[in-house]
Amino acid sequence: MFAAICRIQWKASALGVALLATLAFIIPLLTVQQAGFSAGDRRGWDLIVMLSAVETAGTLFPILAVILGLTLSVGAWSADHQAEHVYALTLPVPRWHYVLLRFGAGLLLIAPVVAAVGLGCAVALGSFDLPAGLRSYGGAITLRFALAAAVSYAATFALAAGTKRTTAAVVGVLTAVIVLALVLEAFGVSTAVAEGIMNAIFTRPGPFEVLVGPWSLIGV
Amino acid sequence: MFDEIDPRNPIPLYDQIAARIRLAVASGDLAEGDALPSVRQLAARLRINPATVVQAYRALEREGFVEMRQGSGTYVRSVSTDRRRQTREDQAARLARDLLTEAARLGIAGTEVARALQREMGARAQ
Amino acid sequence: MSYAIETQELQYRAGRTFELGPLNLHVPAGAIYGFLGPNGSGKTTTIRLCLGLLRAERGGVRVLGHDVPSQAPAMFARVGYVPERSHLYPNLTVREALALHGAFHRRWDHQAAAELLGTFQLQGDTRIGRLSKGENGKLLMLLALAQRPDLLVLDEPTDGLDPVVRRDVLMALIDFVSESGATVFISSHLVHELERICDWVGVMDRGRLVAEVPMHSFKNGIKRLRVRNAPAQAGDPPFVLLARERGDGASGTEVWVVRGWQATMRQYFEGIGAVLQDVVDLDLEEGFVELLRTARVPRGS
Repeated sequence: MFAAICRIQWKASALGVALLATLAFIIPLLTVQQAGFSAGDRRGWDLIVMLSAVETAGTLFPILAVILGLTLSVGAWSADHQAEHVYALTLPVPRWHYVLLRFGAGLLLIAPVVAAVGLGCAVALGSFDLPAGLRSYGGAITLRFALAAAVSYAATFALAAGTKRTTAAVVGVLTAVIVLALVLEAFGVSTAVAEGIMNAIFTRPGPFEVLVGPWSLIGV
Repeated sequence: MFDEIDPRNPIPLYDQIAARIRLAVASGDLAEGDALPSVRQLAARLRINPATVVQAYRALEREGFVEMRQGSGTYVRSVSTDRRRQTREDQAARLARDLLTEAARLGIAGTEVARALQREMGARAQ
Repeated sequence: MSYAIETQELQYRAGRTFELGPLNLHVPAGAIYGFLGPNGSGKTTTIRLCLGLLRAERGGVRVLGHDVPSQAPAMFARVGYVPERSHLYPNLTVREALALHGAFHRRWDHQAAAELLGTFQLQGDTRIGRLSKGENGKLLMLLALAQRPDLLVLDEPTDGLDPVVRRDVLMALIDFVSESGATVFISSHLVHELERICDWVGVMDRGRLVAEVPMHSFKNGIKRLRVRNAPAQAGDPPFVLLARERGDGASGTEVWVVRGWQATMRQYFEGIGAVLQDVVDLDLEEGFVELLRTARVPRGS
């Protein structure tokens, strides 16, 4: 059953995954090239400029991870939405079992993109000699990317399964909270609540900490 | 043989099927040892309930026209000339009964029907 | 007698106007049960309730001994369902749909599926979204049959199909039923089709089960009598008088629609000084129409 679900989910997500995998492979290569590491001689203050370029480029990874998570969530449920969910409800497996199958299939589809990140990093880092004092974080980035994609996927999976009405409701509530926090911020009213929530989510041990951590391919 | 099975006829379907087979045997169209179509085949072909076919075959078996052999099918038995004649007579009687009932419904007397019958038979002989 | 489907005081409401039940449906195991009723009478809703696709307000459903909806997955392993509208994923090909369905059903018969593909002349690599109505109907029946179910629940399976496709679909159905003895619950408003194959009949009208009887008693049950010179007040007939109307033809002729008629009841008419001219048998469609017509008229009018 799992294999069958994987096959149809791959069909629904293949294009998105292929596109994102291509991007995932290119980002490390472009990062290294744009930062100037592949050029000839580097010295002193140039390194600082190059490293900050790498850090900036690194922000593309979490963005890609979130997009991947979203794409796979949508891919997991698009067929059921089109068929109005009736088919799944007439299968001889309990609903939770079916949901798990869908979830697992999507999770598996993260792998090719993660592999592309890993490969891209390896190729990019292998194209030049690392100057003394610097370290590369290809493996760490790849792992962090995998985790970030998985977390984004899990977070959006339930939403993608719901009806348009519930999705709109959840998005609406989130937007309202964020807007409210920003407005209050603008008026100088520091909302410990908003800050508290943001901290809980985006710093360790919150689930989304993985998105805001260090994403630099090369650092000290 | 089974093309005119009519579910709208008040005669039950199984009876219509059995009647056809009975007459085919009586007229010699079906000979001793001939195999009737399987329940599955006939039901599917006529698009009727297989239980109806079974009912027809069982009725014929009870009357001694066929025998249902487990696993191999339903086969026609030998039927005496007397029996065959009787079958044809029964069917003719049925036709006559239906004709007269219909005539009565339309307000036509039996004697008028008989006269028309004679005339028609005469015309056909020529 | 064991029942393939049984409901107990099943009730459901939708919006302010649609009300269903209390429904006490009994589909005998092994029967081919025709579920008749005009459009909007609640046939599809009843089917959805029986399969747990809708939640009842009150009452219970058991299908093949399984409680619905609590044991619905186990039930679906043994039930082949053909819905009114295709529920298949439109982006899959025919072959992929078969593979998916087969992966979930333990009793899936690959050979039967392949044979039916040929019989129905379906191409394996056509996208489901591109299938014609007839091909869709055939595919749905194929999936339900290749599952080798103990019960088939068919919601208007031949509706909108041309006669050739209809014949193919019904032949495949009957072929399967002949060898498996599976129960069939088939809803349709194509009365003539059901007349041939069903041995039980359940009639729905305005959310209620108006009749549930073996087919032969339904067909023989309702008759039209042509009566002459009947008195205005004819009391205590031995049959159920459903309707009494002026007939065309000579004045004084009436048409009586009755239920439970037997030939011996002719004497009744002699007793009231009337003449029974004719007893007309009704086919299933006419019987169905009469039943509905008389079921809707309030008693006493």
